[in-house]
Amino acid sequence: MASELNQNQLQLAGDLEIEMMTDLYKKMTNSCHKKCVIPRYKDAELTKAESVCIDRCVAKYMDVHDRIGKQLASMTVQQQSGVDVDPSKIVGSY
Amino acid sequence: MFGFGGSNKSATNTPTQPPTPSFEDQVPTLREFLREYNRISEVCFNDCINDFSGKAGVSSAEGLCVGFCLEKFLKVTQRISQRFQEHQMLMNENQMIVGKKTGLFK
Repeated sequence: MASELNQNQLQLAGDLEIEMMTDLYKKMTNSCHKKCVIPRYKDAELTKAESVCIDRCVAKYMDVHDRIGKQLASMTVQQQSGVDVDPSKIVGSY
Repeated sequence: MFGFGGSNKSATNTPTQPPTPSFEDQVPTLREFLREYNRISEVCFNDCINDFSGKAGVSSAEGLCVGFCLEKFLKVTQRISQRFQEHQMLMNENQMIVGKKTGLFK
């Protein structure tokens, strides 16, 4: 079927995934740093509170990312079913 | 399929299909979509999640906030794009008028 990807396409998809995970990681690091670290540097150690906050922050960030992904996916499906995506019908109109 | 048997056209002549975009062609669009997805996650996380004291994950209020945030984000993007297009059209029209006045177009 057309959905099968060849070696080159798999490589492209893999690269894209790495790129996006890197982007996500950067954004999450920024957000959690901003939200959890109090910008007064009397000590080089992470406080207990900061450590716990960071752990929860990462968990919550991934959770939010997941939720948004699911919602976006369901919206896309809704849109497509509204437009009628049956490929044979699209072919027929040409 | 193509490249073979050029002599008997009628037999190999398939109905003209719309060129289905290859995966390679879709990569830029996909990349843009995924970047946008990451950005929405960032914005909505920053705006909706501010409490890290509880042990539980995302609370129901936070979840609701994230959902609204996503929908609003998309509406904002859509509206900005519409207004921008209108702006572009106006600019083009004005340029045409100026061009006609200065005799660039006849």
